[in-house]
Amino acid sequence: MENNNDKKDGVLIEVIDDGPLKITGNFILRDLKRDLADTPEEVYICRCGRSSNMPFCDDSHKK
Amino acid sequence: MEREKNMFSGGRKYSNKDITVYWKPDACVHASYCYRELIEVFDPGSRPWVDLNGAATDRIIEVVNMCPTEALTWKWNDEAKNENISIDQTNHINFRRPELVGQKESAVADNPVTVKIMIDGPVVIKGNFRFKYSNNDKEMKDGIISLCRCGHSNHQPFCDGTHRKIGFEDI
Repeated sequence: MENNNDKKDGVLIEVIDDGPLKITGNFILRDLKRDLADTPEEVYICRCGRSSNMPFCDDSHKK
Repeated sequence: MEREKNMFSGGRKYSNKDITVYWKPDACVHASYCYRELIEVFDPGSRPWVDLNGAATDRIIEVVNMCPTEALTWKWNDEAKNENISIDQTNHINFRRPELVGQKESAVADNPVTVKIMIDGPVVIKGNFRFKYSNNDKEMKDGIISLCRCGHSNHQPFCDGTHRKIGFEDI
């Protein structure tokens, strides 16, 4: 049995300079436009407004 | 008498035959989704400002779930239906306020962090989490932050409402 220590570590919200928003941990992701509800362990949310894979980062900020 | 019936600790509640909606003014950050989406139910110019007979129950639930805070939460009047609520029902009171359905522990999760991607707007994060940006590293307790997704805020990384001025649409 794996223990739940990782899960108790909580949620980390990290703003990457000139990059996306990194979110890790136990959280509920809800996208109201695309009617998405999920519990991913790690996501990168676009912060530049130009991603072709909203709401996620697709590295468009580097272009 | 009627007024007292509509009170609960911290706010007011409103019901139709299916659901009860709880309104907690102190938690409101004026994101304005409720009345922009459903003025027939949430009309700040009327008293009472909430009329749950103004739209179908499904639509009311959908709009209450848009609220980025717990200013608006809801539950089924049929208590049996309040167990095992799915994770997309982010403003069901089991997520944050199980005491209102007489439960000691949430049926969904223990105060989960919610990350809401608002329509053509910011990402709103609520709950207990660690928040790192620039040289800052903060532990947030029951915190709420609203972060820019359009890339044009003048107050990065936070939302300052610029997305509306530039007509941001995330397609």
